[in-house]
Amino acid sequence: MLKEWAKFKGFSAKNLPKEEPFAPGHRACQGCGEVLALRLALKALGMNVIAISATGCMEIISSPFPYTSWRVPWLHVAFENAAAVASGVEAALRALKRKGRFPRNRRVDVVAFAGDGGTADIGLQALSGALERGHDFVYICLDNEAYMNTGVQRSGCTPYGAMTTTSPPGKKSIGQMTWKKNVPAIAAAHGIPYVATATPAFFLDLMNKVKKAALVEGPAYVHIYSPCPTGWGTKGEDSITLAKLAVETRIFPLYEVIEGKYYITRKITKPKPVEEYLKRQRRFRHLTEEEIRKIQARVDAEYERLLRLAECL
Amino acid sequence: MKPVLVKGSEAIALGALEAGCRCYFGYPITPQNEIPELMARELPKRGGVFLQAESELAAVNMLLGAVSTGVRAMTSSSSPGISLMAETFSYLAALELPAVIVNVSRGGPGLGGIEASQGDYFQATRGAGHGDYHFLVLSPASIQEAYELTAKAFELSEKYRQPALILTDALLGQMKEPLIPRRLRVREYPKDWALDGARGRPARVLKSLFLGPGELRARNELLKKKYRAMRREARAEVLYAEGAELAVCAFGSLSRIVKEAVEMARKKGYPVAFVRPVTLFPFPEKPFRELALRGVRFLVVELNCGQMVEDVRLSVCGRTEVESLALPPSDLPAPEDIYRRIRRCLRRR
Repeated sequence: MLKEWAKFKGFSAKNLPKEEPFAPGHRACQGCGEVLALRLALKALGMNVIAISATGCMEIISSPFPYTSWRVPWLHVAFENAAAVASGVEAALRALKRKGRFPRNRRVDVVAFAGDGGTADIGLQALSGALERGHDFVYICLDNEAYMNTGVQRSGCTPYGAMTTTSPPGKKSIGQMTWKKNVPAIAAAHGIPYVATATPAFFLDLMNKVKKAALVEGPAYVHIYSPCPTGWGTKGEDSITLAKLAVETRIFPLYEVIEGKYYITRKITKPKPVEEYLKRQRRFRHLTEEEIRKIQARVDAEYERLLRLAECL
Repeated sequence: MKPVLVKGSEAIALGALEAGCRCYFGYPITPQNEIPELMARELPKRGGVFLQAESELAAVNMLLGAVSTGVRAMTSSSSPGISLMAETFSYLAALELPAVIVNVSRGGPGLGGIEASQGDYFQATRGAGHGDYHFLVLSPASIQEAYELTAKAFELSEKYRQPALILTDALLGQMKEPLIPRRLRVREYPKDWALDGARGRPARVLKSLFLGPGELRARNELLKKKYRAMRREARAEVLYAEGAELAVCAFGSLSRIVKEAVEMARKKGYPVAFVRPVTLFPFPEKPFRELALRGVRFLVVELNCGQMVEDVRLSVCGRTEVESLALPPSDLPAPEDIYRRIRRCLRRR
C-alpha cells in the first residue's frame, strides 16, 4: 500500500459517485466496451481533471460538432502525442503552483487517454518519455485490439490469429502473425510507481485502479481491455461476457504493479479453455484446432510467468 | 477489356500493382484505408511485401529503405499523416530516391475533418520538409486517371531519380467509377545507384550531409538543374480555348464540378475555357501564359483558402486579371454555384 492511498477506502456499489463527467448521447456503437471503460474511469476521477485525448474512436464519438460529451476540461491532440501533451500540461500546472498563480493545495489530475494504436504503436515513444521523466499524471490505454476508428486495421495490441482488414487470413497468412505487445510490462519496466490492468466487466476493480492511479504521486499507467463488437464481429450484448471471459480464460489477467511489485488482483484457479473466448468472435472464426492449441499454450505460459513474477517480485 | 467498379483509392493501389510495386508500407488513416487493405490482400499473393508500420514516420522510412535497394515501393496516407512524414520527404529528395507517396487529402489544419479538401496544395508543391527541394506532384481527376497516373508516377520517379507524390482527396478516394484496368507500359531506368552489395566494385553511398567547401552548393545546383529539366513533364487539360474571354481553372476532383459549370456556361453562349493542371509540380505554365497573352482572364476555383491561384498569378506574370474562388472545406459547391460566379465575372466587363 502506498501512503497516498491511506484515505481512499475504495468504491463500492453503495458509494458510487453521482456525477457523470462523460455525458450520455455520444455516438459510440451499440455495446461499445471502450466508451464504458472511459465513462467509468472518468467517474472514478471526478470533475477535477484535465483530460487529454489522442485521436481515435473515443474522440470521434464524443465530439461531433457542435456537441460534446466532455463535462470536464478536454484537450484533443494528434495520434502520437497524448503523453507528451499531458507532460506539458502537468509541467505548466506545476510551474503555476510554484509561482503562486494556482492554489497549491488544489488537486487537478492530468489524465491522458489513448487507444491501443495510439499507445502501443505511434504513441509509444511519447509515453516512454513521459513515464521516464516522472510526470504526475495518469495514462489510460483503452485497448480494443485494433485501429477500429479507421475501419479495423491491425495494431501492436491485436492478438495472434485475429482477422483485421490489414491482417486478412488466407493461404499466405493466418491473420495477425505476431503476439500481442505487452504494454503494461513496458510501462512497468520504466520503474513507475503504479501499473494496472482492468476491464469494464469488473467495474469496481476498474474504478478503484483508476482512482489509485490518480492518487499516486508520479506517473501511473492503466491498461483497460475494451471489447469492440464492430471490430471483433461479436454481438453488442456480449461485450461484458467477453470481457469476463478474457479474464477467466487467463487471456487478459488482472493485476497491479505497485512500485515494481506484482499483485494479481483476480486469481484464476480454474481457467476456462481459450476456445470458449475465441469461438464467440468472428475475427477468430478461421482458426484451426492446432492454432487454438498454440494460443492456449501461449496463454498458459504467460500466466505462469505472471504468477512467478507475483511470487518473487 | 471489362471495366471494374472500384473506389479511387483502390484504383491507385491497382495502378501501383500494375506498375510493378513490390512493397507497400502504410499506417491507418481515413480516407485512404482502401489502399493498405487492398495491398494487404494482393501483395502477398504476388510475392510482394505488405507491412503496417507503427506510425506514418516509420512507414515512410521503411519506404526510404526499400527504394534505396532499387525496388519499386510506395506508401500512402492522408493529410495529418503526410505532415508526420515531412522530415523524411526532405531526405528522400536529398538522396534522390524514386519513391511514390500518395496523399488522399482531407480538410485541415490540425485534425480538420475527413471530407474533400485541397488545402495540401502548398504542402505538396512547396515541399513539406526542410531545404530546397521539390516533389513531382500529379493530381488525377477521375478514377481511370488515378490508375494511370499512379503507374506514371513510378516511371517518372525512376526517370528523374525523384520522389513523386499523388495528390488526390477524399472525394476521388472514396467515390466509385468504372475502371478499365488495362495493361500499362511502365518504362524502367537503370539503377546504377541502388544499394545491393559491393562485390567486385566500389561501394555505393547514399547520403545527404555535405560539409566540404562548396560541396552542398554544388549538390543544390544539381537538384535545381533536375527540377528545371522536369518542366518538360508539365501536363494540363485545356478545353474550349478558342475565342475564350475567361478561363476557369481547377485541379483534381473539384475540376469535374468546374468542368460541368463551364459546359453549362458555354451552352448559354458564354466564351469560357477550362484549364486543369494534371501536374502540380512542375506547374504547367505554358497554357496559362498563352491564354494570358491573348487577354483571357482567369478564375481559379479551389477547395481551400486560395493556394493554386498563386501559381496561376506567377504564370501569367501580371499580364491579365486572375480571380480566386476559394472554397475552404466542408461543403462541395454545386456546378450552378460556379456557373453563377462565371456569369458574374463575364458580365462585369
